[in-house]
Amino acid sequence: MFRLRACAHDCPGRNGGDTDSHATLADAIRAIGSGASPAADGSRPGAGPPPVEILCCPRGGKCIPGKKPRHQFFVNARATGSGGDGSELAPWWGLPTAADELLRLHRAGELDLDAGQLLRLSHREVFTASSLETWKKTKETIAKYVFMTMALVLVIPVVAILAYILVKAWPVLSPSFVLDNPRDFMTTGGIWAPLVGTFFLVLISLLVAAPVGILAGVYLNEYARDNWFTRTINLAVVNLAGVPSIVHALFGVGAFVLFAGMGRSLLAASCTLAVMTLPVIITSTREALAAVPMSFREACWNMGASRWQTIRTIVLPNSISGILTGVILQVARAAGETAPILFTGAVFFTPVPDHGLASFVPYGLGDRCMALSMHLFTLATQVRGVSDELQYGTAAVLIGLVLVVNSLSIGLRVYLRSRKRW
Amino acid sequence: MVMNAHIRFNNLSVVYGRKPALRDVTLEIGKKEIFGIIGPANSGKTTLLKCINRTIDFVISARVQGEVFVGGEDVCRLRNVYALRRRVGMVFPLPVGLPLSVYENVAYAPRRAGMHDRHELDALVEKCLRQAMLWDEVKDRLDLLGTRLSGGQQQRLTLARALSHRPEILCLDEFSIAIDPVTTMKIEDILLELKQEMTIVLVTNLVQQARRLADRTAFLSDSRLIEVDDTETLFTRPANRLTERFVNGEFG
Repeated sequence: MFRLRACAHDCPGRNGGDTDSHATLADAIRAIGSGASPAADGSRPGAGPPPVEILCCPRGGKCIPGKKPRHQFFVNARATGSGGDGSELAPWWGLPTAADELLRLHRAGELDLDAGQLLRLSHREVFTASSLETWKKTKETIAKYVFMTMALVLVIPVVAILAYILVKAWPVLSPSFVLDNPRDFMTTGGIWAPLVGTFFLVLISLLVAAPVGILAGVYLNEYARDNWFTRTINLAVVNLAGVPSIVHALFGVGAFVLFAGMGRSLLAASCTLAVMTLPVIITSTREALAAVPMSFREACWNMGASRWQTIRTIVLPNSISGILTGVILQVARAAGETAPILFTGAVFFTPVPDHGLASFVPYGLGDRCMALSMHLFTLATQVRGVSDELQYGTAAVLIGLVLVVNSLSIGLRVYLRSRKRW
Repeated sequence: MVMNAHIRFNNLSVVYGRKPALRDVTLEIGKKEIFGIIGPANSGKTTLLKCINRTIDFVISARVQGEVFVGGEDVCRLRNVYALRRRVGMVFPLPVGLPLSVYENVAYAPRRAGMHDRHELDALVEKCLRQAMLWDEVKDRLDLLGTRLSGGQQQRLTLARALSHRPEILCLDEFSIAIDPVTTMKIEDILLELKQEMTIVLVTNLVQQARRLADRTAFLSDSRLIEVDDTETLFTRPANRLTERFVNGEFG
């Protein structure tokens, strides 16, 4: 006895859905094709008709199907015409076609149902997700949230540090804190002198590093051929980027303070910072230049433009945003470094004028200077009796400086990017 | 042999690393003719063009042997390649609009060559754009970025740029690949007119295009020059079996 059932989700259950009984499998299949089955009514829009199942019951015995059907086919009950092969990706079109195909298989001896076994004909619309596609969607969701979590994990420490320092520094933060010079062995007063020192250190190092780095980057990307000389320079640049900053400091002592005879001075410290920032400026310049499509250059060369004309008119105008971004990010890094200036020109304390124009330019090129990062280090470890607020205030100004510079760089990038022309 | 050779390749061989791209090609291209070059992919057609204006120099692995005479001078020994490239206009398969305005795209080469007079430039830009059948479409928006034009317009802009330095030789490398048939037919008409003023070397994958346009045609295969003859002869009574099969679409 074959029982034809159309049931909703709990199909394998004992008494789910409506049932018709048929004597033979062929009869049951024909019943599907004749539309006598409840599956054909299509009364459940959206969800699609429930699956049709043929269950083989032992005569007189109990009818308990196994979990997995013996045969699984798919049909698009709403479609008309003929097509598909009954698989999940290509369902048969319409119940009559499905019944014809099943009968053919039955006659070929490919459909056999023992007692308790099940033949399931599931409804599948053209755009219903297959099991593979459902799994694909799940993986997509998992991947998205894993990446998002990591991004959030990244943001949390930044926000935490900023909040902590700002809260701690709040009592001392005022215009006079920024504009006053340190007094009484740095236990009171502000941070004007170190702030100006950092400003000049960064400015001079930038004036040294930016032209050298940008021009070197242009040479390496636009002129250099791929030979041993170029490869050596590349290797040098990469290695220079990996050198620890304290080693740069020692190099600065050897090269600038002693060999070049600058002594411990603002100039020597700036040059050391410049050497430290050079490799990244070169690398970011090269990357920005490489982003300009080769076809632009070739078009220009074909018209008789020289390499320099091409660089000046096409390549540089379209890569300047990337180049400047790299440079500005290095400014932020240089502002925060302590080690390279430690031996080359920065001092714990140096008397500077408090008032007038001289307080804006308190150091000459040959003078030793104070710097924010150095000042913070001094306050935290070298001087007794400095209030916590003063230390956190200095840190807050330093971080604020870096944030301002970084935002400036992002702003510039967005502005220049919006003017980019392809 | 041509009486009035404008370009002459003399036993020209080019090797990319170890891979030969041209083997011992000897060929003459006459003044003010349209010279078609056909052949299957990788047969050295583009390499041949690059030898004319020495842009082969930019292919680092390339080694060139032999001579290429343009107007009687061996360009391989030439010092002033800029002058050579000004005499040769190049159009490559994919349109390249420079990231400049339409006007500046066309004025680029003249400016680099030292032309700064605004009136002269205006006249030249208009003439080149008219010659490239682009003037009517862009005359009201010459400040528009060249990169914003459609593909077919950009290819005509490329053509206008190639004409902007008033070349005596115009090389076209499969110019119609990226553009629609209507534009292609328009440009083909332009070429027939330009023939009055300059020598045109037309590399093409469409053998029928060569048949429509070229006075003489050369067939390259496997980096060798197989046959060169009047277009009509080459297409109807080719001397070489390989040529016959190619022009009849049996291989390639």
